[in-house]
Amino acid sequence: MADHDESLPDAPEYATSNIAGSEPSDDDEPLDLTHENNAKIIMLGTATDDDSCASFQFENEDHTLGNALRWIIMKNPQVEFCGYSIPHPSETKMNMRIQTYGEITAKDALIKGLADLRDLCDVVTDKFIAEKERFVAEKGN
Amino acid sequence: MDGFDMMDSGTEGPTVTIRKADSTRADFVLSNVDLAFANSIRRIILAEVPTLAIDLVEVINNSSVLPDELLSHRLGLVPLESSNIDEKMLYTRDCDCDGYCERCSVVLTLVAKCTGDRNVTVYARDLAVAAGAQLGSPVITDEAQKGSIICKLRKGQELNLKCIAKKGIAKEHAKWQPCAAVAFEYDPHNKLKHVDYWYETDAKAEWPKSANAGWEEPPQENEPFDYNAVPTKFYVDVETVGSLQPDEILRQGIKYLQEKLATVIAGVQKTAGEGAAAAAGADVGGMDDGYGGARSPDMGDANGYGRNFNDGYVTPYGGAGGAGAGAQTPFGGYGGGGYSNGGWP
Repeated sequence: MADHDESLPDAPEYATSNIAGSEPSDDDEPLDLTHENNAKIIMLGTATDDDSCASFQFENEDHTLGNALRWIIMKNPQVEFCGYSIPHPSETKMNMRIQTYGEITAKDALIKGLADLRDLCDVVTDKFIAEKERFVAEKGN
Repeated sequence: MDGFDMMDSGTEGPTVTIRKADSTRADFVLSNVDLAFANSIRRIILAEVPTLAIDLVEVINNSSVLPDELLSHRLGLVPLESSNIDEKMLYTRDCDCDGYCERCSVVLTLVAKCTGDRNVTVYARDLAVAAGAQLGSPVITDEAQKGSIICKLRKGQELNLKCIAKKGIAKEHAKWQPCAAVAFEYDPHNKLKHVDYWYETDAKAEWPKSANAGWEEPPQENEPFDYNAVPTKFYVDVETVGSLQPDEILRQGIKYLQEKLATVIAGVQKTAGEGAAAAAGADVGGMDDGYGGARSPDMGDANGYGRNFNDGYVTPYGGAGGAGAGAQTPFGGYGGGGYSNGGWP
């Protein structure tokens, strides 16, 4: 393992898996740095050789994202441990530790957690809209 | 997506039950989600849903008894109509103009003078919105249609102010809060023992029952403590200041939570791209559809909230629906009623 401050450790498996002829997707458009919620995320260190464990540091995030994300990542049965902390109250940084049982990498667990939480948000939005329509209809009569 | 069971109960997904609602308030029960998620919603609607508020005041003349600073502070706290602000306005920092322009601000003028012997009271209704502004009119909900009091003038005193209202969030300043209060309660009978009540002799006799106590089974006499129990029902009462409708606040809140997620996803993928040359980019974890990366508020997707994250996705809850019918205002017209707030449904 190299020093802890590198922005991302070696990730050869990603480099090899996708290299043949795939054009970069539109999703990779550069981030808009003027947006205030533009969280930057860095990987802190893995402590194992197989990337099954890793720590991530989120910038400009707090308990709003941290606790919900921690919960949804822990819901993944392939994840052994997930925890987060805000190391210092006057720094807008949030650290998250993910350890998996080894079938998936910690980064995949993080990405899956993010996607699941997003889907949960969709479901709650839909439920809310449906309930609101029911409520309005009921009141209207 | 290989759905693992995300519900604690394992049977039904999240449920929302609206108990009371009108143009300034929504009282609902959110069930079958985790405390962490419910709290995220509470935090985000309190602090991160943007509204419009007066941010700059050019004082041309102020001979009232209030100093300029105090007057400016009071003006900042006046709620301004902000519905669908995401489609109508940019943050000033995202705008290409110098200072401010009509794309990122609304100009309100306040001109008042007391000429008679009786003192004049200046109300929020006296703030004149620049012609053509899509939003930014002061919120007035009282019977007399006056709005909040800004200042009082004695004979000969006058005010001449140019106020520039900007978009912002409550994390930066409380004047941008869309909610006056968000009540949040779970476990009204304290079965989970998350609260340790102080008491003189008997906690049960001395503490009043919560208003939500009727919505849950009271504990049996000598019921054993269930150490596996987790909170599942959350009683939320969103009370607005009037700048946004409660349902819009909630939808926007969830949208901003999703926006945070999308930003992080884009960040993870960007980091992956840096680490492993060009190829690594989008397909990490097989999620190559429709994230769209970070959503700047100026991207103005037409139907209001995060549908753009949603295309063709099947969730563990079965179909991330397309139910959302855009951003019609559900609780009747603003101020115009449409809705009586009598008893619970």
